[in-house]
Amino acid sequence: MASHKDIVSSFIEGAPPGEVSISPFLPNIKALTLHEPGLVKGLGPAFEKYNEEQFTTVKLPGGSQQVVVTSHSSLGGGRYFDVESSSSFEFDHVTRKASAVQSYVLEGPQSDLVKSTIKALGPYVKEHFPNAAYGAYPIENDSRVAVIIVANKYSPNNFWNGRWRSLYIFDPSSGTLEGSIKVDVHYYEDGNVRLLTNKPVSLSVPSGTGAGLVREVASTEKKYQEELNRSFTNLSEGAFKALRRQLPVTRQKIEWEKVASYRVGQDIGGGSSRR
Amino acid sequence: MSADPFDCALDLLRRLNPKHTASHLNGLIELAPDLTEDLLSAVDQPLKVRRCKQTGRDYLVCDYNRDGDSYRSPWSNQFDPPLDESGLGGIGAGGNEGAGEGAVPGERVRKMEVGANEAFDVYRELYYEGGVSSVYFWNLDDGFAGVVLLKKASPQGGSSEGVWDSIHVFEASERGRTSSYRLTSTVILSLATKGSALGELDLSGNMTRQLEQDLPVENDESHIANIGRLVEDMELKMRNLLQEVYFGKAKDVVGNLRSIGSLSEGQRDRDAQKELIGSMAR
Repeated sequence: MASHKDIVSSFIEGAPPGEVSISPFLPNIKALTLHEPGLVKGLGPAFEKYNEEQFTTVKLPGGSQQVVVTSHSSLGGGRYFDVESSSSFEFDHVTRKASAVQSYVLEGPQSDLVKSTIKALGPYVKEHFPNAAYGAYPIENDSRVAVIIVANKYSPNNFWNGRWRSLYIFDPSSGTLEGSIKVDVHYYEDGNVRLLTNKPVSLSVPSGTGAGLVREVASTEKKYQEELNRSFTNLSEGAFKALRRQLPVTRQKIEWEKVASYRVGQDIGGGSSRR
Repeated sequence: MSADPFDCALDLLRRLNPKHTASHLNGLIELAPDLTEDLLSAVDQPLKVRRCKQTGRDYLVCDYNRDGDSYRSPWSNQFDPPLDESGLGGIGAGGNEGAGEGAVPGERVRKMEVGANEAFDVYRELYYEGGVSSVYFWNLDDGFAGVVLLKKASPQGGSSEGVWDSIHVFEASERGRTSSYRLTSTVILSLATKGSALGELDLSGNMTRQLEQDLPVENDESHIANIGRLVEDMELKMRNLLQEVYFGKAKDVVGNLRSIGSLSEGQRDRDAQKELIGSMAR
């Protein structure tokens, strides 16, 4: 049987975009665990996992741009770095605030590729994401480069929130780019509807340059979004229609006073019964 | 200020992935066992199908035809597994009113229940062209109440799959020649598809709507016709709403996150259009 901490941690892990930090998500959890006041205090690791997996964004004190919190930008001890602003900072996973900003200068064999990737990412992200943060980070002992784009749009007044997350790992030695695009949309007016997608990506970038890499990312994401839009139409015209018709084959609503005679008259569904 | 734990639990369920309502529900019950009964009766879950031993027909099970581990078939009016004793007239062996709890509806209400099951079986065939339907009625002090259940799953093995569950709970208060109906309808709709270009996509959720209406009643058959029309209109409304939210809204939000076209070109076009309209107005 799952412990109460595990249950609450799983709630946090599954929180929709933009809703984990806001009232009433956490107050709800507090209200349900009043008899265990220590429980919420012990949720730090669950929030850390959520923030790193969801690429939580934060504005640094004095900064204007959003930077990304991810395991790929972790320096350990609750500190993260951002290449574009040449900063490292401490991040509080529960309050989601950054503090103790220090200068952070990227060095090492991948630093040029990281910087050129970020330089190419900027204009691309600006042209296609109205509200997004991005980053590139050397990982695995400077053997690979992680590229992240995260776009959030929250509209709680209209009962919807959404998040687009892209993660790519580039291997300069083989020129391969592996990753995934994930979309998470929550709509909750008089209901609860969730769109969750996951598109694995695997391609090669022969040039191995930052600009070449971003070009591949841009074309992959465009193709994916077009495919996603097509699938909404396909689902609507296909699976959805097949579940329930808008009107019977006769295109008329049922005459309920005569419903008992429908069977006898064999006049249902144009006379064709598929049962 | 302390929030009501029941409301807090419902609010969490409104936010957590609707595909996994059952496991979230179990988690909440684990956290707050006091809420078990309230949550189980308030939270709609996908319906389960059973086969009636007497008639061989499928029926749907929910809290309203349950007594302990037994469920009443709308086709035979028998509980499976059989109960030791059952009350009549909506009063269970334990003195409990309403559905389940060993209660079978009284003679008049059961007769309407039989009629409603036949009518909604036709409705199911016309709108769902398959699937399973069940209707359960129970007695109330000033009338009766019931639930209309419909379920349809797309065939397995296709590139996409879907499950539709409708749960319409109503109360009919009888006042002479009119009856006042209160309907609460929930549709649980789950869709999933995958492919090499698309990856995986899951679009799941539930929506609830309510309405109240007074309608004339001549006899018990008119009750069935009234409920039929209310459910038919409600499902049409909800189907349109689901279509709008699942395929229109979701796509719009994705478009709000990422624009396929260039944002600056889009802005230039909008500015040019504004200028054009401005110059025409001058």
